Amino acid sequence: MTRVSENSSSASLQFSINKAKKKMEDLQVKGTTLKKIIKPSDDPMANFQGLQAQSVNKDNSQFLRNIGYALSQLNTTESTLEQLAELLVKAKEIAIQQSSDFYGGNIRKNVSHEIIQVRNQALALANKRLGNRYIFAGYKTLDAPFDKDGNYKGDFGHIQLEVAKDFFIPINLHGNEVFFTDNNIKYPPHPLKEFDEFQPNKNEPITPDNKNEIKEQTPNPVRELASVTNETDSDPFITKNNIFSQLTSLITALESNNTIATQDLLEKIDDSISRIITMRTRLGSLVNTVLHTQLQIDTENVENQDFQSKLMDADVAELFSDITKQQHILQTAYQTGKGLMNKSLLNFLS
Amino acid sequence: MSDLLGIGKTGLFTSKKSMETTGHNISNVNTEGYSRQRANQTTERSIVQSGLVKGTGSRIVSVGRIHDDFIEKRLNKELNNTEFLKERSGKLEQIESIFNEVDTEGLNTLLNKFFNSFKELSGQPENETMKMVVRDNAKIVIRDFQRIQNTLTNTRKSIDQNFKTKIADANSLINNIAHLNKEIVRIEQLGGESGDLRDGRDKSIRELSKIFEIHTYVDNRNNFAVAAKGVGTLVVAGEKTDLVAGPATKDIATNGIDGSFEIFYKDRPGFPITNRFQGGQITSLIKIRNEDIQNISEKINNLAYDFAKIVNSIHNKGYVSRKIETDPSGNPLPYDKIGKTTGINFFQEPIRGQNTIEHLSLSEEVLDDPTNICVGLTANASGDNRVALAISKIQHEKLLNGGTTTIEEEYLHTVSQLGLEAAKSNFDLEQAEGILAQTNNIRERISGVSLDEETANMMRYQHAYAASAKVMKVAEEMFETILSIKR
Repeated sequence: MTRVSENSSSASLQFSINKAKKKMEDLQVKGTTLKKIIKPSDDPMANFQGLQAQSVNKDNSQFLRNIGYALSQLNTTESTLEQLAELLVKAKEIAIQQSSDFYGGNIRKNVSHEIIQVRNQALALANKRLGNRYIFAGYKTLDAPFDKDGNYKGDFGHIQLEVAKDFFIPINLHGNEVFFTDNNIKYPPHPLKEFDEFQPNKNEPITPDNKNEIKEQTPNPVRELASVTNETDSDPFITKNNIFSQLTSLITALESNNTIATQDLLEKIDDSISRIITMRTRLGSLVNTVLHTQLQIDTENVENQDFQSKLMDADVAELFSDITKQQHILQTAYQTGKGLMNKSLLNFLS
Repeated sequence: MSDLLGIGKTGLFTSKKSMETTGHNISNVNTEGYSRQRANQTTERSIVQSGLVKGTGSRIVSVGRIHDDFIEKRLNKELNNTEFLKERSGKLEQIESIFNEVDTEGLNTLLNKFFNSFKELSGQPENETMKMVVRDNAKIVIRDFQRIQNTLTNTRKSIDQNFKTKIADANSLINNIAHLNKEIVRIEQLGGESGDLRDGRDKSIRELSKIFEIHTYVDNRNNFAVAAKGVGTLVVAGEKTDLVAGPATKDIATNGIDGSFEIFYKDRPGFPITNRFQGGQITSLIKIRNEDIQNISEKINNLAYDFAKIVNSIHNKGYVSRKIETDPSGNPLPYDKIGKTTGINFFQEPIRGQNTIEHLSLSEEVLDDPTNICVGLTANASGDNRVALAISKIQHEKLLNGGTTTIEEEYLHTVSQLGLEAAKSNFDLEQAEGILAQTNNIRERISGVSLDEETANMMRYQHAYAASAKVMKVAEEMFETILSIKR
């Protein structure tokens, strides 16, 4: 028969009470923080994933801010283009009116003032600012992109923003592509193209599936990034036909009472209008994409929160049933201890 | 008739002696490391008188302690293991708390904030205030790197201090054992009882086992000896060897850090024996200091290096936001009156190695003037945000370890590894504590005092005493009877 000594029974009692108490304490901390993981060793893997999820969440809220910037810029650009189109339509209507011989030279001269106003308004739109930022200036956002003669001073930069992980979206149109007619609309290259650090991933930016459409729209970038200075060197005003020169020509034609020239201009103005409409469409689709991304991030955030919570948060029901269970265990340990410790042969001898 | 009185006397004496032992046991019921004692009683030598063998009563041969050497050794081993894990768990928990970011902002959150502030900057590249925010976030990241490094260094230094106290403890225990060795031999030569002294020595050995693994044996000259495993004999009979812990120079320090504490034989300084100890608190501390802390510190320093290096390499390509003059062919000038216009480092060029974090700081340009933070890849283009975009992408780009891990993954891996180590040692500790408690129980069952048992014994001896006294009384009455014949 195993001998039981005073110390062995009290030690085993102490051990079991200690163990029960330690578990109780652990549960207590979890109960007050309502977190399953207090320190990395509680669950190293969940800690890892949880912190990653936390970063994704923070990134997403930053993306939402970026989306805000992108939307305000895109919307302003779009409404500006809309106003510009209206101006051009007005100019066109006047040009159509004046291209017949119905009106006399005097009237044309008077009407030409109206076109001067249109031109001024167009110029004001070209130098439109959002906050302190000129929206048609390419990268040179703090300098007015057009002088009073309609010369373009900006560059050919497309500002891009990351609106979802690895998904970049151009948020501006530069003055050249908006106001110069023979300039095909080109798509900006990947913004990280210039950085060797990102080379391995450059060719295949990971875009969410539903953005395939956009990805197809942005085929291999053709535009040379560093070509900004070269292009401005070749004087755009001479070679290129821009909206301001069209309007100026119209003014001259009207002032000089030249109906032929006015008729010639009609087609060009039409071209400009349709180009601006095309650009508006493109902006519209960008806005849609951005809005869609926003929705997607919102959903992702909810899922992510859920995931994070599953990893890190304590299951309240389970936790409290555990606590109750543990309380019972502790109480039982005390009870049995009472039975064990208070009994001694001495109590029965006297 | 006088024999009868004599027999009664031996009975009284044996019972009294046994009762004393019981009393000793009872009073030592809570003495740590006490082994219960028992008075071994036997019959007194019998004599032959007129052809008859006559008993002459009883006597106490010896008072022995109930003790199991094998269990004692096992207990020492379990103690050693438990202390190793206890120390390890405690220290790992300390280190782990540096990386706790479930409810506080740790390095990962701050790095994320830093990169997101660049994302924000890419949304408003013209905003000079935003650049200050970026700079502040960078400062916070640097400070957090330094917090981690400093805490690691402090933990390392506190371990050095632990060495010192542990070795002082070990020395006093060694001293104690040597002293007890001498005492035990002396008392036993005089035929005295050495049970209590042996208990004392066992207790010292147990304490010493907590510090490092030891091995006890009796050599061929019957001397009791204690040796530290892997190191050598520390005590033989009354002779002892002292240990000493003190700062070592870089070339002999086991972790290659100047001034870190090492253990030596007192008479042989210059030859550290730190790494030769096995098990126990000392080995645990060495492992934490030389492996775990070293490893984490290295990883965090490398991370800081890569982080600063990559941010710099991208930042370098950008241009500052102020007006930059161009040469006749239109290329921007790399210098102007104020200073560099491109090729500016964001962080000061990092140094690889253990001191990366110590020297980690913002470059002078960025520190002087946040407008020196480059956002664009082209000069005179306030809206160009490509540098900011690229820097913001660093966090999730696989740029480290030859393009296999991201900064975040690398950091979280380090933390997870630490967490795994801590979880493992916590688990092992729980198990070891269970085994220790069990072993302790076995020892207590064998050597511990049971009050019930002692109470029963007490009654037994009391009755025996009373009976012996009765024998003497009867003998006395018999004398009376004889003497009364004369009257």
